[in-house]
Amino acid sequence: MTRPAGVFSQTYDEDQAIIRTRPQWYWFIGFMIFMFTLPFFGGGRALGIMNMIWITVIAVVGLQINVGYAGQVNLGQSAFMGVGAYAAGALTFHFDLPIWITIPAAGISSAIFGAMFGLAAVRVKGFYLALTTIAAQYIFAFAMIKLPKAWFGQIEGLRLNPVSLLGFEFNNDLRMYYLVASITVLMIYGAWGLVRSRTGRAFVAVRDNDNAANIIGIDVFYYKFLSFFIGAFYAGVAGALWGYYVRYIHADQFTLWLSVWYLSMLIVGGMGSILGAIIGTVGIRSLQEMITYLGPKITEIELFSAIGGEVVFASMNVLLGGIIILFVIFEPRGLYHRWNIIKETYRIWPFPH
Amino acid sequence: MISLLFHVVNGALIGLLYSLVAMGFIIIYRSARVFNFAQGEVVVVGAFLVWSFSQYFGLPLWVSLVFAFAASILLGLAIERSIFRPLVGEELFSLVMVTIGLLVLIRGLVLVTWGAEVHFFPKVFPTAGIRIGPLILDKGLVIGAGLTIFAAAFFSWFFNRTRTGLEMTAVAEDHQIALSLGLNVKRSIAIAWAISGVLCTMAATIFLSGKGMTFLVSDIGLAALPVALLAGLESVGGLILAGALIGISMGVAEHFLDPIFQGGVGAVFPFIIMIIVLLIRPSGLFGWKTIERI
Repeated sequence: MTRPAGVFSQTYDEDQAIIRTRPQWYWFIGFMIFMFTLPFFGGGRALGIMNMIWITVIAVVGLQINVGYAGQVNLGQSAFMGVGAYAAGALTFHFDLPIWITIPAAGISSAIFGAMFGLAAVRVKGFYLALTTIAAQYIFAFAMIKLPKAWFGQIEGLRLNPVSLLGFEFNNDLRMYYLVASITVLMIYGAWGLVRSRTGRAFVAVRDNDNAANIIGIDVFYYKFLSFFIGAFYAGVAGALWGYYVRYIHADQFTLWLSVWYLSMLIVGGMGSILGAIIGTVGIRSLQEMITYLGPKITEIELFSAIGGEVVFASMNVLLGGIIILFVIFEPRGLYHRWNIIKETYRIWPFPH
Repeated sequence: MISLLFHVVNGALIGLLYSLVAMGFIIIYRSARVFNFAQGEVVVVGAFLVWSFSQYFGLPLWVSLVFAFAASILLGLAIERSIFRPLVGEELFSLVMVTIGLLVLIRGLVLVTWGAEVHFFPKVFPTAGIRIGPLILDKGLVIGAGLTIFAAAFFSWFFNRTRTGLEMTAVAEDHQIALSLGLNVKRSIAIAWAISGVLCTMAATIFLSGKGMTFLVSDIGLAALPVALLAGLESVGGLILAGALIGISMGVAEHFLDPIFQGGVGAVFPFIIMIIVLLIRPSGLFGWKTIERI
């Protein structure tokens, strides 16, 4: 990271800090205030969208660690999320455990499920791996529908009551927002720390060249396995929140198609950066919501009335598919890279270099 | 007993159909090193092309089939020209990620063009069953199995004996090295995509003849993956054995496990086999064993 001239660390702690300069603190505090007062700017539908965006951010950040950092292609993130949702849902439904137990438990159970498929990653390389994660998707859907009805409700799914923490019930969008946003901040903080730790660096080494990583003493098997474990843990937490927010869990909610979206968010945001995952998720989700919002309005206009609503909806796929392809061809480093360029320009303005 | 026999034979035939889809997949993989996630979507486009020419434009069946095959070649070439040519020499990761974009894009285009409602695919093969001994089999599947075996034999020969085929194999090894040897990388990849387009349309025709279809037919692209993997991702000939093996084990699993799980085993069983294959023998039955250097 480049810093303005004259800003340098004097102690080890300063050097290791995530937030280093005073302006960064201002921005950070400002952003936190913004994030937690956001519900007061736009209520109703916007709030629901924001909840879903934060939940998705958690899952995509997990995917970023798995795919962007450790380089293990994963098309099963939505299945992992589903496992988390079912685990949290069942724990709440049958045992009525508090959420500070169920959410981590959902993360762990999803992580174990994910790591099972990560075991195959130990043997295979690159894109063979995508196949095992697709298998995870099919096995998840099959298992959830076929397991005994008393466990996960089979085809009827699980219906949940609002959960509560210390007597505070998360029964509406606003209350849910604070739960989701706090956990999102926590998870992102964790991810940020992880990727700059020894583990994160080992992931990057495995991604860049696993043979070379092996030679310099990195346990490739262990780190591949761990990346699946952590990625799926994030998915599990996201799934648990999804379950508590939607309050209905069904295997059909967690499709392969959703995993494809998550991967697209990574591509657009930028591989190998936590911020990229966040930017990509917020960007793509906002675009999706914009089209969902504008779609009916376009068909109301006389000129376009011949276009059905479903065509507008389908054109969302065309648009987003096109965006992904254009990004891979013209900006493989994603929006994150653009953001860095803007930041750099702002910092040294009015000088070009 | 008859039921078991039927499950085995029918499973083998369906497995061979998967081999055909997997063949399109493998041909792209072994000549461009691209892991094409959009394979199922290409099958859907092929299916809708046949539907459009025969039902929408009302052309005779054989003319519309010829047109559809021609159009699927064009589609393959268009994909190569617009998406993969700018990426020649790029790292593998981008090449695969772009197929994810392609998957989303093609599905959107299919929905915009043909909508989500059920279309009825023309009857290409007679619906009457074939009687072999005590079994009554779907004629389309039997003919399809024959075509698959023929295609596998042909492409096996093509990749191992012809100059073009060998060049395509060299391109798969490394774009840069192939370029430096004076091979035409672009042409090789274009040929692979064109062949793959044709195979997808062929698979769609065999699979859907006389049936209703929606854009969700693309799932066959994923169902074919275990077959591709068992064969080893590089071996065209091995696909036949792999397809039959997966199909038969699927049939047997359906016969014995469906009563326990109330159906649905057939769809998930190939994936379970796939995981086992990956754990025991990641390079499949006939895949290349590569030695990696730094």
